[in-house]
Amino acid sequence: MFALRRWWTRHALKAGMVTLAISSAWLLRATQGAALYEAYHWLTRPLQPGVSREEQFENSYILELQQRIIELENQNLALQTLESYEASLSQPGVRAAVIGRAADHWWQHVILNRGSRQGVAPGHVVTGPGGLVGRVVAVSPSTSKVLLISDPTSRVGAKVSRSRIMGVVRGQSNNRVVMEFFEKSPDVKAGDVIVTSSYSRLFPQDVPIGRIESLDLTKSPAPEATIQLSSPLPILEWVVIHPFNPLESVDEPTWPTPDDEDQPGKNSP
Amino acid sequence: MTKPLLKQPWVLNSAVTVGSVLLCLLLLPGRIPGLELLGVSPHWLLIWVVAWSIKRTMWEGAIAGLVLGLLQDAMTAPHPTHTLSLIVVGVLTARLQKQRYLQEDIVSVALIVFAMAVIAETVLALQISLNQLISADSLYPSLPKIWVYHQRIALSSAILSSLWAPALYYPLNRWWDKYNTPEP
Repeated sequence: MFALRRWWTRHALKAGMVTLAISSAWLLRATQGAALYEAYHWLTRPLQPGVSREEQFENSYILELQQRIIELENQNLALQTLESYEASLSQPGVRAAVIGRAADHWWQHVILNRGSRQGVAPGHVVTGPGGLVGRVVAVSPSTSKVLLISDPTSRVGAKVSRSRIMGVVRGQSNNRVVMEFFEKSPDVKAGDVIVTSSYSRLFPQDVPIGRIESLDLTKSPAPEATIQLSSPLPILEWVVIHPFNPLESVDEPTWPTPDDEDQPGKNSP
Repeated sequence: MTKPLLKQPWVLNSAVTVGSVLLCLLLLPGRIPGLELLGVSPHWLLIWVVAWSIKRTMWEGAIAGLVLGLLQDAMTAPHPTHTLSLIVVGVLTARLQKQRYLQEDIVSVALIVFAMAVIAETVLALQISLNQLISADSLYPSLPKIWVYHQRIALSSAILSSLWAPALYYPLNRWWDKYNTPEP
């Protein structure tokens, strides 16, 4: 008892410090580092691309595309009234700048400068110039963390635009992803355009992903294609966050997600 | 006793220590031009853990590794955890110095950081491989792909971290030396 008390009088301050350090680190971990990302946001504020640059970007590039899209949407509306087709990406999204990358080498994340204060929530879909970029997995009041489709743990249900062949796209930590087909001899060829499929539970359908670069149809258990992403993920500066309600609730977005249910042979019933 | 709280040396020392950790954390998501190689930037937290443990005991190294590992988990994702790799780094660095294999100077610190960066990435790769082997519906790629990727990032992280180690080690070590000397 006496020894214990003596230890306490000698080491009380040290023990207190250690407990404080561990508990505050644990608290930050429990909140997914929201406070740290807020601090990072304020610190990098002068370096973030400003309004003038955003306007310039929009004027030079978006306007042209928007005019084309308006024309296409008008044509599409007529078709949509015929079929019971749901326009999933018609509402305007939130523009956001990329202010950071993953805080570790094993993850493919980007940090955006828009957060829950601007209405961003986990599960929202992020697109950029070129097509699909990823999915919001965590938000703080003014930043959000996006899991890129190039991350090895990311799975996207996809289809070949020309022949409607379905498959699953897996990330490889670089600007090429691998698509596994469900069929043994799929009707695909190099150069085919890949878009998200209607089976995807975490992404809306018909968002462009990329083009087939090469094919390996003899691969076991499923034929594979290497896809060059059309979105330049390593040099992304601006993206658009689209509100989207995933069909599957994602409680732990960065751990095995339920999106791989349409993957053959793994955990399909 | 007569000094106000803010002038007490331990308050200032804690502020410098916590401030340097915060600086490292805020450097992590940035990809400053010139600070990256193949998309990989220096592992600032690892450099901090090495700088901390080099003149301290194993326990102090382990606690620093635990705290900074939890903080890095907060910045990325809780699985696979970074606490394990940083604890290993803290303990190994503390042991290394005790046996007096290396004289303490800038070059040896860079060498230690190089080795520790490789070890830290290996611990992470082992965790991922284990998850891949154990769980049937693991989302991670196949083992050969994990280890090819591990080679690439372990090497670039080790090179960059060891080059930038003195920038963090030198001022921190000077400060801790200065703080510890006048103590009776």
